[in-house]
Amino acid sequence: MTDTPHAAPPSGIVILGPPRSGTTLLRRILDAHPRIASPPETYLLSAAARFLHEERFASGLRIGVLSGLAFAGFGEGEVLERLRGFVLGFLDDHARARGKPRWAEKTAFDAFHLEAIARLCEGHVRFVCIQRHGLDVVCSLAELVDKTGGYVHELHEYLRRDPEPLMALARAWVDTAERVADLVERDPLAIDLRYEALVRTPAAVVRTLLEHLDEPWDDELLARAMTEPGELGFGDWKTYGRASIDATSVDRWKGLPSATVSRLAALCNPTLVRLGYAAVEVGEDVSDEDARHRYAMGLRLQQLGAGKPR
Amino acid sequence: MAVTPQSVREFLASKTRYALDEVGDDAPLFSSGVIDSFVMIDLMTFLERQTGARLAPEDLMELDSVQSIVAFVATRQRPKR
Repeated sequence: MTDTPHAAPPSGIVILGPPRSGTTLLRRILDAHPRIASPPETYLLSAAARFLHEERFASGLRIGVLSGLAFAGFGEGEVLERLRGFVLGFLDDHARARGKPRWAEKTAFDAFHLEAIARLCEGHVRFVCIQRHGLDVVCSLAELVDKTGGYVHELHEYLRRDPEPLMALARAWVDTAERVADLVERDPLAIDLRYEALVRTPAAVVRTLLEHLDEPWDDELLARAMTEPGELGFGDWKTYGRASIDATSVDRWKGLPSATVSRLAALCNPTLVRLGYAAVEVGEDVSDEDARHRYAMGLRLQQLGAGKPR
Repeated sequence: MAVTPQSVREFLASKTRYALDEVGDDAPLFSSGVIDSFVMIDLMTFLERQTGARLAPEDLMELDSVQSIVAFVATRQRPKR
């Protein structure tokens, strides 16, 4: 009898999370590791997801490249393997060029394409998943839109369905956070991180992550991650302006008006609780009279200014 | 529910990111910018629910510190003779 060798766990790493959840920070940290190369956003996986895009007709027939090539004699496994080799090959080459044995891929909006990415990569990469409080994600996405002056393609469908941008962004968070949580539940190789823990206790979280990835920790890693310039490319511009990790972006949602918080909370609470966050209080409905009273008092308060009656 | 310095702090902490632990009971809140007008109106609603009485515009100026908020509520909750 001969021992059957255990397959080595995959070495490639894919960072996934709803956009604005700390994925770029994770990328910078992993890229500073002497054995991991993590390039700026490549869009490789979302491009592969578009290649695999298909539509299911009422008869159950899937219209797309996999079905099309199946009729031409190419099985799904072979097509996925070829595509995987093509896509991940760029990352292999990039890591090799930097003299590192492993790579980590992160592109901000990949979570919107998670089904196709999982179909292509599950079992062939290590998913590093990160989640952040949904209301903070909404605040950060709204800020991104303000700064960039537009919505990325992945958000368009949400904006068509909901005329209120913050609610549309919250729905996008719920969808992507739930998809990432589903992946964590079914993939034993995936690790599940929280942004708040990462920025409050970065050394502890990164140690846990590296242990999961079978990579050594070193005491200079975080300092290197935040001070080395790294490669320029697509990614969160804010993180490039930071030289240390801090928790100043936690609980930004508390600055939103109560009525907005209540509406966002009603939508996000089930997902927040699933992810281990406390449910956000949903305010009681107010009568028309109470609403007018609040409004009038708010106006009077503005008149009073900083405690000085006008 | 009794309105205490602790309950006022807990309410305000749920509405603002400001570290209220660093704010003294007599420190100004609204006039110093620790809380904004939205939080002030939320605080007003909170106090109206606790006391069962409507607040008037001039009352708002008596709510500028944890200490003054608690004192204000005590006067509102004082039993009538």
